[in-house]
Amino acid sequence: MQSRPSFRGGIAATLLALPLFAQAQSLPERIDFYVEAKALAAGQPLSPATGDEEFLRRVCLDFAGTLPSSEALAAFVRDPSPDKRAKALERLFEAPAFSERMAEAFNVMLMERNGENERWRSYLAEAFRAGKPWDVMAREIINPDFKEEALRGAGFFITRRLEKVGQQETDYPGLTRDTGRFFMGVDLQCCQCHKHLTVGDYKQVDFNGLFVAFQNAKLQEVSGEKKGASLAEGLLAKKYEFVSVLSGTKGETGPRVPFGVEVPIPPLAKEEQWLEAPDPKKKIPGVPRFSPLKELAERLACAENPYFARNLANRLWFLVMGRGLVEPLDLIHSENPPSHPELLDLLAAAIVEHKFNIKSILRELVHTRTYQRSSLLPEGAKETPEALFACAAERPLSAEQLMRSFLAATGESERVVESKGWEGVDGAKYGKKDFEKVFAAAFANAAKEPELSVNPTLKAALFLRNNELVLWSLKRRPGNLIDRLCALEDAGPIAEALYGSVLSRQPTPEEKAETAAFLAKHETSREKALGRYAWALLSSIEFFTNH
Amino acid sequence: MNTLCKPWEHEVSRRQFLGTAAGALACGALGGLASAHAGEAMRGKEKQVLFVWLDGGMSQLESWDPKPDTQFGGPFRAIPTSIPGVHISELMPRCAKQMHRLSVVRSLCTKDNSHSAGVARIQRGDPKNRGVVYPFFGSAVAKLMGPTQSKLPPYVWIKPGSGGFITEDAGFLGPKYGSLAFGDGKPPEDLLRHASLSHEEDEERNELREMLNRRYAKRHRPAFTEASSYVFDTARELMARADIFDTSKLPAREVERYGRTQIGQHMLVARNMLEAGVRFVKVNSYGWDTHGDHFNGHVSLVRKFDRAFAAIIEDLAASGLLEHTLVVAMSEFGRTPRINGHIGRDHWPEAWSVAMAGTGLKPGSLVGATNDKGTFVKDSGHDIGALFHTWFSALGINSEKVEYNNHGQPLPVAHDEMTPIKEILA
Repeated sequence: MQSRPSFRGGIAATLLALPLFAQAQSLPERIDFYVEAKALAAGQPLSPATGDEEFLRRVCLDFAGTLPSSEALAAFVRDPSPDKRAKALERLFEAPAFSERMAEAFNVMLMERNGENERWRSYLAEAFRAGKPWDVMAREIINPDFKEEALRGAGFFITRRLEKVGQQETDYPGLTRDTGRFFMGVDLQCCQCHKHLTVGDYKQVDFNGLFVAFQNAKLQEVSGEKKGASLAEGLLAKKYEFVSVLSGTKGETGPRVPFGVEVPIPPLAKEEQWLEAPDPKKKIPGVPRFSPLKELAERLACAENPYFARNLANRLWFLVMGRGLVEPLDLIHSENPPSHPELLDLLAAAIVEHKFNIKSILRELVHTRTYQRSSLLPEGAKETPEALFACAAERPLSAEQLMRSFLAATGESERVVESKGWEGVDGAKYGKKDFEKVFAAAFANAAKEPELSVNPTLKAALFLRNNELVLWSLKRRPGNLIDRLCALEDAGPIAEALYGSVLSRQPTPEEKAETAAFLAKHETSREKALGRYAWALLSSIEFFTNH
Repeated sequence: MNTLCKPWEHEVSRRQFLGTAAGALACGALGGLASAHAGEAMRGKEKQVLFVWLDGGMSQLESWDPKPDTQFGGPFRAIPTSIPGVHISELMPRCAKQMHRLSVVRSLCTKDNSHSAGVARIQRGDPKNRGVVYPFFGSAVAKLMGPTQSKLPPYVWIKPGSGGFITEDAGFLGPKYGSLAFGDGKPPEDLLRHASLSHEEDEERNELREMLNRRYAKRHRPAFTEASSYVFDTARELMARADIFDTSKLPAREVERYGRTQIGQHMLVARNMLEAGVRFVKVNSYGWDTHGDHFNGHVSLVRKFDRAFAAIIEDLAASGLLEHTLVVAMSEFGRTPRINGHIGRDHWPEAWSVAMAGTGLKPGSLVGATNDKGTFVKDSGHDIGALFHTWFSALGINSEKVEYNNHGQPLPVAHDEMTPIKEILA
């Protein structure tokens, strides 16, 4: 698709475009309608569609978490079939890497680099592999079942946050806040002590309705067969009372989903209180008949709670488009309208219709023109407002995406990740763990910081320039990138191999000429010079973003 | 006017002597790297900041505002200082000799008394809540003043524990204005050029990278390219000046004078960084939270601080840097006059002290006072917002006019209902 002519005059343009909507049947078409009508009304030209190379690089990074191989890229470009993009997407969605990549993305989102846990990661990966709906996942995370082996991992979201840090009090407020943020898109932190000062919708009771359920549960270390962190819910017999530190107004609430209806606390006779009584001697937590967490999980993670679907819509949109329809992602409220209100409604409704199946919603999103638009600015433009989605956003690559792409590009993936091909290799040997460690240190955000935007750091710059593992990867070794380049004689094929492996595209004639000039200058020390050239490409912005 | 010599003018400063001598001998012959850098930074006469953060609460009664022989005064005496008639705690004999260079406010009256709120509240200057997170003082200065001509990172934080790149401090200004933290005073990893590369090779590959980025930037949004260039440029400057971060080469006599303590060594690194031209250096000292066994605790803490702080004031004065460097030493709050059951003092924001020195301030000035028991301030107290105004004024920033622009939202740089403490400004 070429960039459209820009019409001035908002309403007229929207009306002009309306017949398009009548014909728009599929979800992707309806999504594109809203995006393009708004851009048109704003007089904002659209960027062209991605070329094949840009497309394949983008989808591989998004759904396999790494770059396409230069062979796959060449084959894709050569393929004349008109539905090759759909086929490529389908292959990616069905590959095992998809669930790993989604588990990775959701781990970073939900835990914000606040610790790793294998059981949690395999819970997420298995959920995405099996196509578990998001409402089921959310319920399993908010009300974890530590007795079911396959579900125990989901409990990490809560147990990690309840771990004691030094002398600080158990962070129930933090857990309450994060539950609101990640499952409903609302940051209620301010409402712990008073009504929100800038958001009219957020009241003190909205925070405390969640808080009362969480602070009723204690972190408990279980020994024996089910060894590990577990949660012991207590008996909740009365409402939680709170006072506004600003107005002194008192309030009270039982368990309650924010903006929802309070769950009545049932009066239970003493002998009725436990379904399974706790065993303090064996340190086995009990199961109360009235479980606030269960009540909340069921009421929060369901189609009846509009925030639940809207949050997922906004976060999935963010995942593939690089910016939420509502920004910040965790400040959904009536006075912070989405950039495209009808579009968010549409997506939220579709999510309910698709029964919270994440993969099937992503499938729809990636088939839009909006997703497949180039990140090149429209001809002549110096800038375009991000919230219009008229041009694809450049998205940061996670530390994990970067590490895999770096190893793939330098041709060291097999040796480092799969421990193959080390025969006859002298000097230092590095493994996957070594690379994971240094890449996370250089590129991951600080713990508990949302990892949302491209954030170049001095640390990362120093890492790229001087780190031993980076420079190690650019030394000649059998079969790696520098080795393959050294085997080539002419500058043309060398430039093609370099750009293809690192930037997933063919060089322009200008770039080929630069490579030739560079090689001519370093005729006597080509191997080392190629290492420097590859370094320059690997540390360029083009390599470092999903553009 | 008193035309007699002040006692301190008879002291021959060793560093002053060295500095002069080094200048005469074309820099470096005697003073080594540090003195050479001092000369360099002075030529620019650019304003700089040293911010000493005592995490927790330093007791005003055991430091700048002693009340000996009173109900809450504690066991220590007060000693005379280089300003006739002004006394401070006997735990600070070295600072007492620097008093004529300091400006002390004894009438701080702030609000929060909890740590979680205190650190951020004080270091962000507690502006009115406008729904955004305000930057720490260091990030604010990095934003408003940028790096000096040295191009070194504008905001460096020397602290115990881990180092790295701390973005939280920057608040709404964005991660670019965060601090570069030297954990345990050590430089960040990967600072030194890799052994396999010559300087020329390193420069060549970097020029290639810049060329690629320029081409990419022509057809893409500018924001990311700008941020990326910025960090790479800073990395280059840092690498070029790696020598100043090498603590292993500090002369033993200097180390001794600052004290072989964490705060002493960190203060010495801070001096070198200021001399090299870092715009804002923050030095952190932890453990100022003596709810129990307060007096023994403060003997140890205050004495270490005294040695380090007096040494850096003396050095900055001797090298001339103090003329254009603002120095602030403060904590989150003071400590309660009342002594608790654990022989401790708790948090007390009602009446406490801050010590400052350097550019834009009246040397040897003393502002505000507490009542006889030290429980509350006499007259009106000064909140943290007033201090931010004072600091900005001292740095030549009109804090009542200058505003941030947060994506179109104008925001005052300091609390807009407060004003500078005029009595202390030069």
